[in-house]
Amino acid sequence: MLYKVLAKGAYRDFVKALISEYEFIGPKKKDRSVHDFVLIKDISELDTNYIRTTIPAAKKILFPPNERLVTYEIGKKIEVKPVIESGEKILFGINAWDINGMNFLDRFFTTDFIDENYISKRKKLIVIGMDSEPTETNFSLSIGAEYAKDGFDIYLTELKDKYFVRIATARGNEILEKYTKVNDAIAEDFKEYNKYMDNYRMKFKMNVDIKSFYDDFELIYGNQEFWKRVAKNCYSCGSCNLVCPTCFCFNVRDDIELNLKDGNKTREWDSCMIPEYGLVAGGHNFRPDKENRLKQRYRCRLKTFLDKFGKYACVGCGRCIEVCLAKINIAEDINSVKKEVSV
Amino acid sequence: MVLGVQEEESKSTIYVPDIAKIRRIKQISPTEKVFRIILDDEEKQNNFKFKPGQFVELTIFGLGEAPFSIASNPNNHEFFELCIRNVGSVSGALHRMEEDAKVGIRGPFGNGYFPYDKMKNHNVLLVAGGLGLAPLMSLIKYILHYREDYKEIMIVYGAVNPESILFKDDIQYWSNRKDILTCISVDNPDDKWTGEIGVCTKLIPRVNFPPEDTYAVVCGPPVMYKYVVYELEKKKFKPENIYLSLERRMECGVGKCNHCHIGNKLACVDGPVFSLWEINNLKEAI
Repeated sequence: MLYKVLAKGAYRDFVKALISEYEFIGPKKKDRSVHDFVLIKDISELDTNYIRTTIPAAKKILFPPNERLVTYEIGKKIEVKPVIESGEKILFGINAWDINGMNFLDRFFTTDFIDENYISKRKKLIVIGMDSEPTETNFSLSIGAEYAKDGFDIYLTELKDKYFVRIATARGNEILEKYTKVNDAIAEDFKEYNKYMDNYRMKFKMNVDIKSFYDDFELIYGNQEFWKRVAKNCYSCGSCNLVCPTCFCFNVRDDIELNLKDGNKTREWDSCMIPEYGLVAGGHNFRPDKENRLKQRYRCRLKTFLDKFGKYACVGCGRCIEVCLAKINIAEDINSVKKEVSV
Repeated sequence: MVLGVQEEESKSTIYVPDIAKIRRIKQISPTEKVFRIILDDEEKQNNFKFKPGQFVELTIFGLGEAPFSIASNPNNHEFFELCIRNVGSVSGALHRMEEDAKVGIRGPFGNGYFPYDKMKNHNVLLVAGGLGLAPLMSLIKYILHYREDYKEIMIVYGAVNPESILFKDDIQYWSNRKDILTCISVDNPDDKWTGEIGVCTKLIPRVNFPPEDTYAVVCGPPVMYKYVVYELEKKKFKPENIYLSLERRMECGVGKCNHCHIGNKLACVDGPVFSLWEINNLKEAI
């Protein structure tokens, strides 16, 4: 990691240069309360002072809701070709927990088997991170995802009259050298940065007590009363999965064009909360009850990947809490598990 | 980690199937056919090595893809066979296909296979219910190929009725051999049936292999497992010596789509064969 500082006065020209040189994805205000990461053509569209985005930016780019994986032509012979898209892009203004969500997906899509469709896009994605204000439902601090220590090329932290710049890759360093001027960070800068981070961490209001969840979950696993209560109002709609920065479940569909010659395989996001998720040919459903599906979602997010990667598959962004029509609250439920077991 | 990976244009991905030909189709029951499959690429076919209990993902181009266990002898590298019930959209379409038709194949997949090496120098009890015989066929054929490496072998197989019995020729062959004990039972016998009647679970109390020297392998419909396991535990079989092949929905076969998750494991990459010891720690697996 290289530590530099960028003068505030140089920031605007730096961003303008990036917008003109690259395919530049950044936050843009959509309405009063929501921003969306979209293609930015002019700096006037960019608004990095965002609080809320619905679909996580990195996931949208690297693992889009619909993605063609394979195309084929059916004739005398069948020709099959992979589809690999990998144009260079800048993702600008993504916050720490969403970077950590992307880091999870990076690890996931390169474990056991390498997913070229994901990773070819990831390798060409230049990530420039920036802090954003947490929402009231954000519990990233409790999860330890409020700070990003890798996954970005450059991370900009806005201090009083400068940006504290963390550079994690040679690519990031090159971009800074080419499009602006940075100076080495000195002890004073670190001091100011630390103070900023201390204050920043105070902004996270939602706390979860997750330390004992790993063990407590197994004790409460068989308590159907508890899970029925937790999942009582669930509509099995899958909104929680759609907005999750780390949810990765998908279906693969084979389609054929009207000419009956050209076909393709497309993956589309799926949701572990909808009843058909565990349904196999012949009609058996391995997870027919909503309480079992919710319970499995919690296991997947909060336990499974502690075993596999030593990490939660949850960054505490709180999106699933905000979008849930039934007001199911993963943070409260983590605390309830603790309470239920401790009583 | 990721950013340092060297650039290299890849010609294939984990989702690209190899083209294969259906070489032979054999109807073996009113609802099941056995498809003999050969990969078009000769080198790939020669290198297509699988372990008993592994599966492939089969694509019908323009329609869909589904996982199927391999039912043939792992020592045969000229082709492989899948025994498929006409029950879903892919299997239904497959049943309408004719010989020489082209399909796509990915695999073989599954790191959890039947532990044919550990079973050597021990007795082996194989319990199959219905279509569960299909995944066991590759193991049975493997064991028979190396018969002298194993002690006593018993095959317990239950079918709904006499006409739904699969692999009748193989069963006849096993019955004629003196070195295998074969017990077949049907739930609904017809007038001609002279064999056992009832679910295959009923036959397990008759097994007289010493449990500490025996491996049990079970494959069948989800509902069957609890009952078979109950009977085996009554017989004092150790959980680490009982192996079960689990069915789950799969969309990818390579540990990405997550549909086959069981606790913190995935049936596709960690299974589909698990020991009962593992299953007891997974909850809800059976």
